[in-house]
Amino acid sequence: MPRSALADKSKSPVRTLAAQADRHALYERSVQDPDGDVKFFARTYRKLRGHDPVSMREDFCGTAALCAAWARSSPERTALGVDLSQETMNWGTARHLVPAGRDVASRVSLVCADVRSVRRPKVDLTCALNFSYYCFKQRAELLEYFTAVHAGLNRDGVFLLDMLGGTEAILEGTTDNDHGDFIYRWEQAKFDAFSHDFQCYIHFLFPDGSKIYRAYAYDWRLWMAPELRDILLEAGFSRVHFYWEKTDAEGEGTGIFYEPDYVENQEIWWTYIAAER
Amino acid sequence: MPKKSSKSPAAKAPKKKTAKKATRPTLAQRADKHQLYQWSVQSPGVDIEFFTEEFTRHRGRKPLRLREDFCGTAHFSTEWCKTDPQRTALGVDLDGPTLAYGRQHNLEPAGPAVANRVKLAQADVRETRFAKVDLTLAMNFSYCVFKTRDELQTYFAAACKGLVRDGILALEVYGGTESMSTLTEERDIRGGATYIWEQEKFSPITHHTLCHISWRFKKDKSVLHRAFTYDWRLWTLPELRELMLTAGFKSVKFYFERVDGDEGDEFLTGTGEFIEHDEVDNQEAFLAYVLALK
Repeated sequence: MPRSALADKSKSPVRTLAAQADRHALYERSVQDPDGDVKFFARTYRKLRGHDPVSMREDFCGTAALCAAWARSSPERTALGVDLSQETMNWGTARHLVPAGRDVASRVSLVCADVRSVRRPKVDLTCALNFSYYCFKQRAELLEYFTAVHAGLNRDGVFLLDMLGGTEAILEGTTDNDHGDFIYRWEQAKFDAFSHDFQCYIHFLFPDGSKIYRAYAYDWRLWMAPELRDILLEAGFSRVHFYWEKTDAEGEGTGIFYEPDYVENQEIWWTYIAAER
Repeated sequence: MPKKSSKSPAAKAPKKKTAKKATRPTLAQRADKHQLYQWSVQSPGVDIEFFTEEFTRHRGRKPLRLREDFCGTAHFSTEWCKTDPQRTALGVDLDGPTLAYGRQHNLEPAGPAVANRVKLAQADVRETRFAKVDLTLAMNFSYCVFKTRDELQTYFAAACKGLVRDGILALEVYGGTESMSTLTEERDIRGGATYIWEQEKFSPITHHTLCHISWRFKKDKSVLHRAFTYDWRLWTLPELRELMLTAGFKSVKFYFERVDGDEGDEFLTGTGEFIEHDEVDNQEAFLAYVLALK
């Protein structure tokens, strides 16, 4: 939470909705769908490998909502979450692991570390979601990360990541998503065509006019699909699959993904990539 | 420039029919696609001035020896040699008939004093057996035929090797939101013709793009359909910079065309003036020069 919002707490006799809100909880509601991810991961892995994945590693895990969902989804499944922020992982432990009970919690381990330094234990599936790997802005850094992921996978392991694209992904602007009790605002503050440096923010706005300004700030490079394919192959992955979300008659996403031969570009899209070890 | 065109309709003999009017070929059938191409997308005068100025600024001397990769009709090479009696040019292209066209329509009319200083080679631009030059050009996005990093890096490394110690490689790049869409743009050119640029396909997953150039003639509404077709990978600026540095160049500079117009204007107009930038906001469509300094 930004410091200004914290400072307001003591002064104001009536606490604003922003002051009462928890940004991690809002983040999870705004941009995460762990159960959907678990289903897609398991389905994709089975399709590529012919058997079920058991162990999963979530890089940039944050609150480890996906780790918890993974461990809950089947009694054999184990999850390893890796993140640089101990504070966020502690929040996730209290929020997701403790309430899930000892059996689930015992199958989830959280490690506070750089995702490039973790190579053990080897897992069936590693994922990096919400574009977090965009923090690696140099090609050599991203290659180092993908190489580390490759080294940390079992022999028939699969790496799953998501990406953002479209003609409007390279433009500045904001998008609002109304959740009823708050508005999630995504701001693309700056895109530099030379370097593809990409500065984005998440803001939360409340019905009483209060807001959490820049609840999350991202200093990214917007990687393009062919760049990602090139780097994944260079890191040692044998095959790279790009999926695309099916749309209904109104052009709305259906949550069903397929591997297309050719698709036309859209204004804004996000999708999954699967890289086979 | 790669010219994967189907046979020019102009080459086809008009069918003989009894009614004279019907046998008269259309303007499209009589058109000279290379001439139209030169009129539509080439302006060597402006480019030569810009490259000379920038080369002189960075190197403290004028560039004299030019190599024009993907030279096509060698229009640029010819104009280069016209600007200074000391200047020489080597045009490299894979397509024999296009080079032959250039000899006949650009070199010969320029006279022997100019033509003698232009050499043409039918070869792959990755060829490194030629004499070293001051400045190598790859205009009109032709290097986009190289669709893998390996291929493009090999080309940049060959270009680097083919330059003298203080040589410069210059190329053009287009980008922006519109470059990543399908679209058709039209522009009137001389001779009562309309130039049509068509982005038939763009894959957001591979960045492969399929583009065509056609011309329509106002007088009889005939169309020279897809006279040139390009099967490219649209490379982005950071990719070009990374590949050039890996290929051995010491620094890479981007120049964007300065645009006229106030903030909020629907259309910005190119001024023909290019300035160096370190950082740039994306525009709907941009054209930039890239200079790679050895």
